[in-house]
Amino acid sequence: MDCANCLERLYAYLDRELAPVERREVRAHLDDCAGCEDDFVIEQRFLDRVRDCCQEDVAPTELRTRIVARLRMENDAPR
Amino acid sequence: MATDPFESEALSFLDALYRTALRMTRSEAEAEDLVQETYIRAFRFRAQFTPGTNLKAWLFRILTNTFINEYRRKAARPDTTELDDVDESILYRHMREVSPGSSSPDPEAEVSEVKEALEALPEKFRTTLLLDVEGFSYKEIAEMLEIPIGTVMSRLHRGRKILQRRLYDVARDRGIVAARAMPRPAD
Repeated sequence: MDCANCLERLYAYLDRELAPVERREVRAHLDDCAGCEDDFVIEQRFLDRVRDCCQEDVAPTELRTRIVARLRMENDAPR
Repeated sequence: MATDPFESEALSFLDALYRTALRMTRSEAEAEDLVQETYIRAFRFRAQFTPGTNLKAWLFRILTNTFINEYRRKAARPDTTELDDVDESILYRHMREVSPGSSSPDPEAEVSEVKEALEALPEKFRTTLLLDVEGFSYKEIAEMLEIPIGTVMSRLHRGRKILQRRLYDVARDRGIVAARAMPRPAD
């Protein structure tokens, strides 16, 4: 696998969407190529950063209460 | 009243649904309405859910469909990002300069930067990225949005590149990354 082929598979690799054989081929290239390995590390940090930043919002308590009340109403309504 | 297992399992995804709805609609009030509507629909159509399959994916599919069909038209803010071409080789260099962890000395400011950049993405990229952030596979996202897997992959790729450019621009504007002439792309 050359650098172009490896970088083409960058996101599929980081998203764990590659088939095992292809995954091993990418891994083998990364072990030999510091340049590609560097790119993969930077992109992984970026993806982690986006995920972490999105995880902190929680639903307002009133929303939970309102939804539970509505679901109970739905449950009690004649079908 | 005895707790309904479907209800309690469905409610365990409330925070995940809410934060996704918040980024989709870009409005707290609309996000609350969207999430409530999602639960009402899920409850009404619960007979269509196969127990033992992925309830989170099923709920997100309802959320996404409801958003696309009903809330998209009255979105609080129009899309703001222009979809001009992104030179990826240049972005790579920029991200090198920004990473690792040097984009902002203030963690709270960094979180808002990322959220704002996400919310500014055009809707189709935003929706695809948000489902990815929630951990769904390409196949699950393709099913939810009713698009081919190849389209999921290209939207993720392009959406991430636009996001990187915006985050780089923010870092540069704040003087975190030194402003400089655009480097030539690598040959």
